[in-house]
Amino acid sequence: MTTATAPPSGPPPVIGAPHTYTSVTDKIAGIVLTQRTGRGWLFGFMLGLALLGLLALAVTMLLYLGIGIWGVNVPVAWGFAITNFVWWIGIGHAGTLISAILLLLRQEWRQSINRFAEAMTIFAVMCAGLFPILHLGRPQFFYWLTPYPNTMSLWPQFRSPLVWDVFAVSTYFTISLMFWYVGLIPDLATLRDRSQSRIGRVAYGVFALGWRGSARHWQRYEIAYLLLAGLATPLVVSVHTVVSFDFSVAQLPGWHSTIFPPYFVAGAIFSGFAMVIVLAIPLRAAYGLQDLITERHLQNMAKILLVTGLIVAYGYFMEGFMAWYSGNRFERYVQLNRIVGPYGPAYLGCLLCNVALPQLLWLQRVRRSAVALFVVAVFVNIGMWLERFVIVVESLHRDFLPSSWGMYYPTVWDWATLFGSFGIFLTFFFLFIRFIPMISIAEMRMLLEEERGEAAA
Amino acid sequence: MTDAALVRLERRALAVGTAALIVAAVGAAFSPAAFFRAWLVSWLFCLSIPLGALAIVMLHYLSGGSWGIVIRRVAESTAVTLPLLALFFVPVVLGMHVIYEWAEPGAVAADPVLQYKHAYLNVPFFLARAVLYFVAWIGVAAVLVRWSAERDVVPDLDPRRFRLFAGPGLVVYGLTVTFASIDWAMSIEPRWSSTVYPMMFGVGQVLAGFAFTIAAAVLLRDREPFGRLVNPANLVDLGNLMLTFVLLWAYLAFTQLLLIYAGNIREEVTWYLAREQPGWLGVAFALIGVHFFLPFALLLQRAVKRNPVALATVAGLILVMRLVDDYWLVLPGIRGAERFHWLYVVTPLAVGGLWLAAYARRLRGLALVPANDPLVEQAMAAHGH
Repeated sequence: MTTATAPPSGPPPVIGAPHTYTSVTDKIAGIVLTQRTGRGWLFGFMLGLALLGLLALAVTMLLYLGIGIWGVNVPVAWGFAITNFVWWIGIGHAGTLISAILLLLRQEWRQSINRFAEAMTIFAVMCAGLFPILHLGRPQFFYWLTPYPNTMSLWPQFRSPLVWDVFAVSTYFTISLMFWYVGLIPDLATLRDRSQSRIGRVAYGVFALGWRGSARHWQRYEIAYLLLAGLATPLVVSVHTVVSFDFSVAQLPGWHSTIFPPYFVAGAIFSGFAMVIVLAIPLRAAYGLQDLITERHLQNMAKILLVTGLIVAYGYFMEGFMAWYSGNRFERYVQLNRIVGPYGPAYLGCLLCNVALPQLLWLQRVRRSAVALFVVAVFVNIGMWLERFVIVVESLHRDFLPSSWGMYYPTVWDWATLFGSFGIFLTFFFLFIRFIPMISIAEMRMLLEEERGEAAA
Repeated sequence: MTDAALVRLERRALAVGTAALIVAAVGAAFSPAAFFRAWLVSWLFCLSIPLGALAIVMLHYLSGGSWGIVIRRVAESTAVTLPLLALFFVPVVLGMHVIYEWAEPGAVAADPVLQYKHAYLNVPFFLARAVLYFVAWIGVAAVLVRWSAERDVVPDLDPRRFRLFAGPGLVVYGLTVTFASIDWAMSIEPRWSSTVYPMMFGVGQVLAGFAFTIAAAVLLRDREPFGRLVNPANLVDLGNLMLTFVLLWAYLAFTQLLLIYAGNIREEVTWYLAREQPGWLGVAFALIGVHFFLPFALLLQRAVKRNPVALATVAGLILVMRLVDDYWLVLPGIRGAERFHWLYVVTPLAVGGLWLAAYARRLRGLALVPANDPLVEQAMAAHGH
């Protein structure tokens, strides 16, 4: 029996309750194999399906009637669709960051949260990828974005970051999916071996790829996992860097800013960790996982939230200061318009959610309270959506020439597509927690082994 | 490096520094402008080491890990040079009028942009800000050094207070370095601005801090028990951290170039146009090759990171390139600055020599292994992964 008790001054333990290999496996695999489908799960899944229905309706209308059903027009040609794209792709950064970078940094606490954070990443990137395609106007020609030989003299403009996006996002999605799947293989084999039903044995068995847990399997698995982590790490940075280029290569005031790449990457991690917290806190309460997703995890995630939030705040501050310092009247006007212009509440809301509220995380009491942390994280997610809205819309709606100014008002279909995208996310996420172990059983067993070693030493 | 060797190093550094200072002073009589330019670069370079090192110490208090124990004392000790560097600010003040266009009343009167910026870029406010930065840095450094020394004596000192101080301390560091970089380096081209510039400057400082402290730790490894800390496992971690900052520096430098190139706005491209003049373009390629690709390729290899001499050599190379980068940031922006002047070589020797002498003096007899820190045992026992 291994009890992981930390010294009183040290951080709380990674695994809370006394656990053994069997009890860890029973607990995590049991959620998938033996627990009955709970009412909460059914409710969440139904909610996801309902929103998915809403999305289906909105997309059908869009394809039937055209982009005109959205509020976008000249001058604001990028409305909710691009805002939602950047927001979802930002959320999709935490999973791979937790899995790859924290793996390379040997932060063992990542092991309880990486599985569902990676799943979250994949579903968020799926949501994100939807929006640029819908925004194309003729989504059926999306493949024109790829360089392929054709008779139409059609070739992508490789100087455009919008084309780089296609490659960055699709590479990121592929690597994230591979990373998640490779990490799943040992657990799928565990489920195959424990499943009571024939369907379960066959289904898990097919995806377990004949895993037998031999030493050779483990050795190759570890190498593959580490290599994928190495590949995924630069991608975490590159995707949001390219997304920031979508704006910052332009000359538009408020878009053309050299701090955009690091500040977008920090913002992506900020929103991604906020979403992990929003998902982790209800999940651990609903499935009684407090001993596996412990106070230590919440505290560490809160700290990362605080640090990335400070970098984001620094980005806002530098934009404001340099607009004044540069003496460029258009830059200064954009900053002023953000506060007192027609979309002022969006920017002030963004400052409240992303700059003011996260400062509460300096207090240990807030970091320790699951409820307070959950509330802050929800506001961060709202704030980050507002930030992208401000960036996309503010700069477009009033540029250099007052004669070309205009307003953007989202229509009911804009909102339906935004909320509908949650349908994809929630549906997949609830299917994931019902059919796949949401915490890596294999890694928890390794963690127990390590803690046992430490206790003996 | 024994105490006797440290004394020899101190004497030699002092001798070289004094001799170079005398030669530079003679040069200053003939070409004062070149002297002041070279002084600013040398001073910014030397200043980057203690500031970067202090940021690293605070970063370590927040993040933990064995690596920080290895360089904590050598990093903290750089703080002793901050008052000297504050004194070395005097020639910058004396040379303001040849370095900073906005400090010449004539130039300001002729240019509406400089008049607009006069609210920020004016001599009294510039000096007041400099005083504020040094008060903040010396204050933060004094607390870190004193508490660290206190823990050697008082075993049960509350370890939480280091973390509680390091968080706000890093915020102070970030903000002061942001404005210091705008004041001292970016405002050399007063019509130009870039929002990422201060961050790039700060990352360069932390990189210099890592390179210097790693090299210092390796040179001091024959002291016991300190030598047991400088083991391959900890060196690999330190090498990886240095690699991270090499990458971060390259990332920020590259994205700034790409965005300004793509935007192609008249006020912005001037910065790169000045830096692609013959002579400077070669420096730019040297930065790409020797400040990024070479250390990147070397630091990816575990064998290099595990070998103390190899790692210290890479660190020394990075340190030299930091000086080159400081030249590249500052000189092309100054109107009429020569591409090369013999003072550009002698002045860094003067500032650097005197700085190193002050630092070596501090190390003499210093306990390099902090006592009463639970991480020490872990750091000494660390073995390769």
